[in-house]
Amino acid sequence: MPKSDRHTYKPVPAEVVRIIDEAPGIKTFRLRFERPGDRKRFDFLPGQFGLFSLMGIGEATFSMCSSPREEEIEISVRNVGNTTDAMFTMKKGDLIGVRGPYGKGFPLDVVKGKDVVIVAGGIGFPPLVSVLEYLLFRRKDYGKIWVIYGVKTVDDIVYRYKGPRWRKHKDVTITTTVEKKCREWNGCTGMVTDHIRKLKINPANTAGFSCGPPVMLKFVSEEFQKLGIEPENIHLSLERMMQCGIGKCGHCNIGDKYVCRDGPVFSLAELRRMQEDVW
Amino acid sequence: MTQDSYYFIEKKDLQGFIDALTLKMSVFAPVRKGRGFRFEKLKNKQKLDLNGYINTEFPPKSILMPEGEALVRYKESMICEVFDDVKKAVFAIRPCDVHAMLLLDKVMMGHGDIEEHYEARRKNLIVIAMNCTEAGENCFCESMETDRLYGGFDLLFTENGNGYHVEAGSEEGKKIIDDSAKLFRKSSGMPAKTKPGCTKKIDTAGLPEIMKKAANSSIWEDTAKRCLSCASCTFVCPTCYCFSLKHEPDVTDLKNGEVKREMDYCMLLRFSKVAGDYVFRQHRTERVKQFFYHKLVYGLENEGKNHCVGCGRCITECMAGIDITEEAAKVRKKYAKV
Ligand SMILES: Cc1cc2nc3c(=O)[nH]c(=O)nc-3n(C[C@H](O)[C@H](O)[C@H](O)COP(=O)(O)OP(=O)(O)OC[C@H]3O[C@@H](n4cnc5c(N)ncnc54)[C@H](O)[C@@H]3O)c2cc1C
Ligand code: SF4
Ligand code: SF4
Ligand code: FES
Repeated sequence: MPKSDRHTYKPVPAEVVRIIDEAPGIKTFRLRFERPGDRKRFDFLPGQFGLFSLMGIGEATFSMCSSPREEEIEISVRNVGNTTDAMFTMKKGDLIGVRGPYGKGFPLDVVKGKDVVIVAGGIGFPPLVSVLEYLLFRRKDYGKIWVIYGVKTVDDIVYRYKGPRWRKHKDVTITTTVEKKCREWNGCTGMVTDHIRKLKINPANTAGFSCGPPVMLKFVSEEFQKLGIEPENIHLSLERMMQCGIGKCGHCNIGDKYVCRDGPVFSLAELRRMQEDVW
Repeated sequence: MTQDSYYFIEKKDLQGFIDALTLKMSVFAPVRKGRGFRFEKLKNKQKLDLNGYINTEFPPKSILMPEGEALVRYKESMICEVFDDVKKAVFAIRPCDVHAMLLLDKVMMGHGDIEEHYEARRKNLIVIAMNCTEAGENCFCESMETDRLYGGFDLLFTENGNGYHVEAGSEEGKKIIDDSAKLFRKSSGMPAKTKPGCTKKIDTAGLPEIMKKAANSSIWEDTAKRCLSCASCTFVCPTCYCFSLKHEPDVTDLKNGEVKREMDYCMLLRFSKVAGDYVFRQHRTERVKQFFYHKLVYGLENEGKNHCVGCGRCITECMAGIDITEEAAKVRKKYAKV
């Protein structure tokens, strides 16, 4: 007899309870699962992702940017195409389909007791915000925390409203850097790598986490190594085209690995063993 | 299987057997079409014609993953996932293609996550295989050790003189024979298996290690210069399973619609394209390499079996004359000793 509880691709409904205009072309959606049981099943760790769908339009992959402890979940979306464009027309109270969580998140248990350097580029920030929230909630379990967040222009900066709360914590340094100098910005400028270089860390006891465009990840991992962080302690979240999210459709392959199933977070040591170019 | 698993059926009775089966379930069998044969659902009493049948032009994977199948259906806010639990049989499927199916099983139902649409179809598929007595010009199943079956079938036919020896590989297979008991007689065993006699070969000894040494070889660039990125090879390969999910609203009422599976092909540029038009496998060299490495290296690492079963279809279909056996030989020649 066929099982009646089969669901490989069927999403569960979640309601949009809040929409935050972060920056031109970027919105954060706060979602509440219609059925509380669905939230329990969507038990995610920072760095894992979900597939979010609008029926008749399409499905897209996003990393959750909220703390896993919260009942509601948040995703930040950059409008780049078909599905994301339709998501931008959503209003409070609208429903969106959710499935997941999928993939392997950042190894937060493994790096317990260590200092953590978080480097984010552009729309690579969301999974690392979830990481940061997690670290701050278990503040005693981790050492110093540095966050380096890079954007192209001042207008692209997201989560401005979260900064003050993060900065209140002891031993947390947040650096936002804008690629080019401009009149409206008196903060840091330059690439994220310029700021990694300046860090004074104890490499043996530090983990480096990063997410961002492929070229950025390449240079960030090089800078991490120059600081003396071992490849095993460098963890990067990769983007690939994804369709199924469960290791079946083949879209996210890098060599024999599946980014959706074996990643999206990989250590640099793992990436070096890949049989295909990563960047 | 035990001694009582062997039977014999005369050729003149084969049509009767298929007719009886067709009354009970959908039967997919090789049907003469275009340049050769294709698996098609037989109509009631449709005449079976296996004259000159070596293998089908297209692989049987479409029985398990039909192009455009609906996976999810929605109506207003009602969303339901749809499964095909209908009993089907595939008749005269060749050993290499059964091996390919066993491999798809490992991908689609393995690694701790079951693709339930595939599973539903697979569990309801009766596999009636037929051994080869003759190899096609591009077959190299003997090299891939896929020319014989040690399981994975409900019934296995082997042509012999005026009939077929039949081995039952499952209780369900036996039952099918029992249902047409008049057409079969018991037999004491199967004839000794003869080799189909492939002319093409791949020397697989140590091949993955040798291929790894060739990861940045100019061989792939040279091959890519000939490749047209038409994706025919991936289209006809019985172990290629890549797909995309497509949302398709009902044009007469946009509140209703389906999410469908469309097969997709790593040989196409768009396959690895993400936002910002960033393409991970931008160069054809990378896509060509992906195909050959998936078939001869990655599959072995992930599923413990080569993803090439030696059916030769990609060789037959390639307009550029690219031949996986020649590629493997080139790599061995240049890198075996380095
Ligand atoms: C693990 C992971 C986490 C991600 N997290 C975020 C996030 O937090 N915020 C965010 O804004 N974006 C994130 N992305 C990227 C996001 O998935 C794509 O931008 C989105 O799927 C584009 O959907 P679309 O339908 O609007 O685009 P489309 O109209 O389909 O296409 C626009 C472009 O996006 C590409 N694209 C389409 N589907 C995908 C896909 N499934 N994966 C990657 N590229 C695709 C297309 O090839 C095309 O070039 C993440 C991607 C991955 C793999
Ligand atoms: S069939 Fe030949 S030409 Fe077409 S994509 Fe495959 S290797 Fe290239
Ligand atoms: S790679 Fe070519 S020969 Fe091998 S199984 Fe696929 S189509 Fe057949
Ligand atoms: S997204 Fe389908 S295999 Fe990874």
